[in-house]
Amino acid sequence: MLNRNRLILLTMLLLTALALWLKAPVAGSQGLTITAARVEGALPVAAPDDPLWQQATAVEVPLSAQMVAKPMWPSPSIKSVTVRALHNGKELAMLLEWADDTRNDSSLRVDEFRDSVAVQFPLIEGQPFFCMGQQAGNVNIWHWKADWQAALLARQSLQDAYPNIHVDYYPFAEAQENIYLAAYTDVDYLTAEAVGNLLALPVPSTPVEDMVAGGFGTLTSQPAEAQNVQGYGVWQEGVWRVVFSRSLRSDQADDAALAPDKLHAVAFAAWDGANGERNGAKSTSQWVSLQLGAAAAAAPAEEVAAPVGAPAAAPERAVPPTNTALVLVFVGLLALAVVAGAIYLLTLEK
Amino acid sequence: MPDVYNWQIGRTMVYPYPEAHPRQQFAAVFNINRCIGCQTCTGACKATWTFSRGQETMWWNNVETKPYGGYPQHWDVKALKLLEEAHQAAGVTPTWDRTQANEKAPYGVYNGLTLTEAAGPNEVVLGYLPTDAEWRSPNFYEDTSTAYKGGPFGLSPDGATLPEHQAWFFYLMRICNHCTYPACLAACPRKAIYKREEDGIVLIDQARCRGYRKCVEACPYKKAMYRGTTQVSEKCVGCYPRVEGADPLGDGVPMETRCMAVCPGKIRLNGLVEVAEDGSWVEAPQHPLYYLVRIAQVALPLYPQFGTEPNIYYIPPRWAPRPYLRQMFGPGVDQAIERYIAPSRELLAVLQLFRTTQKMIFRFEIKEGPLVREVEVNGKMWQMYDDTVIGFDAQGREAVRLSVVEPLHQRPPERPNSI
Repeated sequence: MLNRNRLILLTMLLLTALALWLKAPVAGSQGLTITAARVEGALPVAAPDDPLWQQATAVEVPLSAQMVAKPMWPSPSIKSVTVRALHNGKELAMLLEWADDTRNDSSLRVDEFRDSVAVQFPLIEGQPFFCMGQQAGNVNIWHWKADWQAALLARQSLQDAYPNIHVDYYPFAEAQENIYLAAYTDVDYLTAEAVGNLLALPVPSTPVEDMVAGGFGTLTSQPAEAQNVQGYGVWQEGVWRVVFSRSLRSDQADDAALAPDKLHAVAFAAWDGANGERNGAKSTSQWVSLQLGAAAAAAPAEEVAAPVGAPAAAPERAVPPTNTALVLVFVGLLALAVVAGAIYLLTLEK
Repeated sequence: MPDVYNWQIGRTMVYPYPEAHPRQQFAAVFNINRCIGCQTCTGACKATWTFSRGQETMWWNNVETKPYGGYPQHWDVKALKLLEEAHQAAGVTPTWDRTQANEKAPYGVYNGLTLTEAAGPNEVVLGYLPTDAEWRSPNFYEDTSTAYKGGPFGLSPDGATLPEHQAWFFYLMRICNHCTYPACLAACPRKAIYKREEDGIVLIDQARCRGYRKCVEACPYKKAMYRGTTQVSEKCVGCYPRVEGADPLGDGVPMETRCMAVCPGKIRLNGLVEVAEDGSWVEAPQHPLYYLVRIAQVALPLYPQFGTEPNIYYIPPRWAPRPYLRQMFGPGVDQAIERYIAPSRELLAVLQLFRTTQKMIFRFEIKEGPLVREVEVNGKMWQMYDDTVIGFDAQGREAVRLSVVEPLHQRPPERPNSI
């Protein structure tokens, strides 16, 4: 079994390296392209219901099990996420929707996990490994967390998880009526907060954590002052709808640069807290393409109104892959299919 | 995954990282026979490290009553059950081969699966995440013994007799084992857990931890704990400032942890043993921990079959049923109890060192004294000598000096109650 995992990882990395070496332009393996419709004025960054979203084509991005790095997760709950995108020349907003029967917006108890969703952009030309990037192939990850969202709306305390809790006194906590929310005079006693772990902050500045990764296990929060991705999420009748937004330009090296004249690669991941999903226990997409649409006058109305899930035509500005690159990528994929087949057969034998 | 050598199971085993050993290893011997279950250790740890918000149900040190007690509840029963199911699925009957015991494999060879070997294809370690409720009652089943079979109300009309009590319980005092091959470290998908090169203490990096709780799931001893208010996990830190000699009381030399140093029952002895590059303990017959674990072999690892090579060693309770003890401490139990019941002259002297100084003892010397007692133990004559044992600190200075027979002053009969 160990060899099997190694083999998959190696094949994936070889393919990615090949794609990088060829500088193969982004064309997601599923051929999906999300077009961010160009609109005027402010984006509905905190309004998933805003009619403006109807101007964006909805693309359903399939998600599959994370089966490359341990802990692997053969049966994730979330099978796809529907993505819409808008931009106004200055800012990008993406609306992600997925079905989830339960709202899990707390992780106070040891056995509860949050619902969350992430958007990933490469920080290099081309496509690094689609799941968390790779060495010398960093990715920028925006991770929206249901519990951070809940904390912004109403700060949670131990009393929410344990209504009958009673603690007389916490040493080094400020004398406040509600000691469960009191700040600490000496933050060293909230160890993770003392060392600047963003997860430990009493109230996050945004429900989205802006991070960088270069392979499994390397995920790292950007510093608190570099957190510049906004978000807003709401759960209703079994559906999460989450908006991510960030200005197109960022002068931070670990932030994806978003430009209207470029075809971007983007990938998604989602976690169902009720299913115990966290870290590698998740559903992920392959790379898909993101194109920022041209100004309204240039965008034909019928394209904007394309039905849900219909991939938009590849814009001409995207550099088409060379024939050699295409052939090699095809051969690579074929090899991958052969390896996957072999593994399947091996598994059957067991 | 590379193979690493685990001397407690006498063979190489699967572990996700290659061998890399610390220069010294934090270790301790806990003498179960002497524990009175007073929880002073538990309180000392709580008052030092875990009195803050979010740590309410966090007890890095706990004392539970076996066989029913456990914190979190039934941690050992659940871990053993998982392992047994894995053995059944693999068609393996786990056994210990004592005939293969040697210097590098003092307990023989374990032929079953360890937790890294029994893990499913998607995981690194076989484990489970205890529920929220299971952490809440750290001393559930306190002082609850098994029932006497046959007597009215589960009571024996004749009381208990050795060698094995028919109704029994014993205290199991537990901290993090600062394992040589920590399951928590193996399972962390972010490498946020590390084992210190200088003393082998295992720590969770509070900046890198993202609260995935894979360590909580993987640690069979359940000594990695989640703190919901900071959303990361924490664990016993081995009182590392004291081990580093940073405590002002310590005069710059390594000191025992808080839980060890406060023990009224004098059941704990804590120190650092020197580790060779291959992970074996550098031979040091005059080091009290080396002597107790490797020479006298009266102190044994807790559930060695889990394969983490834990570094807290227990002198097993002599009155509890042997099959239960063998499951818990491995096949060395019978020899350990036999040697503890009638200790050698040297062992008796070393046992005096427990909880007599806060400084870690790195070397002991024995000055021989007179024969003071001769009695029959288990059909054999046993001699007791009033030897003197001297313990030396990290700098080779005398830290403590004790005699086997405690000094006694007898008041004159006319003043029996004078103060």
